[in-house]
Amino acid sequence: MADVETLSHSGISVHDLKEAEDFYCGILGAQVHGAVNFVTEDTLKGRSVHQSYTLGDFLFALVLAPDFMPMPPADKLMGVNGFRHAFAVRHADFDATIARLKAAGVPFKGPVGHPDKGPFGESVYFKDPSGNFLELLWRRDENVDYAKAPQLDVG
Amino acid sequence: MDASLDKQKTELTAKALSHLVIEVDDLAVGGFYRDVLGFAPLGSDMIGNCGASVTLGAANGGLLVLSRRDDRPDCSATGVHQAYAVGKAARATIAAALKDRGIAVHTYKEDRPAEEADNFYFADPAGNRVQIVARDDAAGRPPTLDHAAVQVANMWWAEVFYTQTLGCAVEHRVGWKTTDYARAQLWADGKEDMAPGTRRLDQRYSSIVNKKAMPRVNLQIYLRMGAVPFAVYLANQHFQEPPENMLAGTPRAGFSVTNETLDNTARILDAARWPQHGPVLIGEGPIARALYFKDPGGNFIELAVRREN
Repeated sequence: MADVETLSHSGISVHDLKEAEDFYCGILGAQVHGAVNFVTEDTLKGRSVHQSYTLGDFLFALVLAPDFMPMPPADKLMGVNGFRHAFAVRHADFDATIARLKAAGVPFKGPVGHPDKGPFGESVYFKDPSGNFLELLWRRDENVDYAKAPQLDVG
Repeated sequence: MDASLDKQKTELTAKALSHLVIEVDDLAVGGFYRDVLGFAPLGSDMIGNCGASVTLGAANGGLLVLSRRDDRPDCSATGVHQAYAVGKAARATIAAALKDRGIAVHTYKEDRPAEEADNFYFADPAGNRVQIVARDDAAGRPPTLDHAAVQVANMWWAEVFYTQTLGCAVEHRVGWKTTDYARAQLWADGKEDMAPGTRRLDQRYSSIVNKKAMPRVNLQIYLRMGAVPFAVYLANQHFQEPPENMLAGTPRAGFSVTNETLDNTARILDAARWPQHGPVLIGEGPIARALYFKDPGGNFIELAVRREN
């Protein structure tokens, strides 16, 4: 079995790289990390056009789709179209985050409450400008310091 | 990069294109620009840092400078070009003159919405790519200097330099959208002479994705220095940049600015520790003061305060 430690990064295909950058950086607060195929060397190799970003401790790439992707209807705000990315904010910041979405004119669904016994508190569901499903939530376990598996000295 | 780049206040504001300096193997090419395009010959060696040159007059005080150079780089497979605006009648005259001389004319669905008119491209006798922009409000003959397009090896750095350091605005982008790739397919299908963002006429500009050749776009941005557009392409091949310590050379784009803008830009470049030459006071000729520098792609830029201003 593959000894996976955690999710490293993911790629999100978009139809407009600049529009996506403005959305993820301007509204969600992502920071630009790097860019590929903005230099001649990459062009000669035929690499895809993408930029990478960090959002909190999450690394992701926005990739320009060379072909149009089938996207969900404009009025469908919650779902899975191949995938959905869910980003956690602190409970104390949740209302302010919703206010930022409202101020930016981003349509969203929610907040939607989750079962009391589960780790998730409430979520709002929305999409990026290309139509990729996104979610912002706060977690009931945000202050829990889960015990790490003990280091077993087997050496 | 900051997400608000496109909304940034423009700091470097040019009044117009003052002059374009292009390179030719023979100064007699000036005769072509006079006879076919209607430029008015003004004299020899009128503009500094152009080597042996001839200067021709465009409309509205614009100047076209042909500089002789024997070891010119071949830019025929790049997006580099100069654009001249003419009225519809002059466009027809120029097209007819080119046909008489057996010069091939290429059309292209323009990337920039403002250029979506009856435009065409050709190469001058020295191999420089020329774009004729047909515009109702343009002069007849001589043409107006409309814009220049240069190439850089690093588009990201170029955008940061032009927008964040100099304070230019990005008016339009090509290569950031899936729709640009859809247009590249039109080129692959033989419906366009050139692929988007390239001005290339050959079939080399395709890339291998999943072992399939895929028509693709070349990144380009259209900048604005005030009302004056300036296009920057990502180079699709390696090219030799000028020597690092050479700050005033050819080819060059000269922008007409006020004394205040020139001094302000000199201060900005100084603060950024960006190499510059000048401001230089010039005793005679159409330019009174000049500031020279290069962009991150090694393209020569000049800010010029015109004497008649």
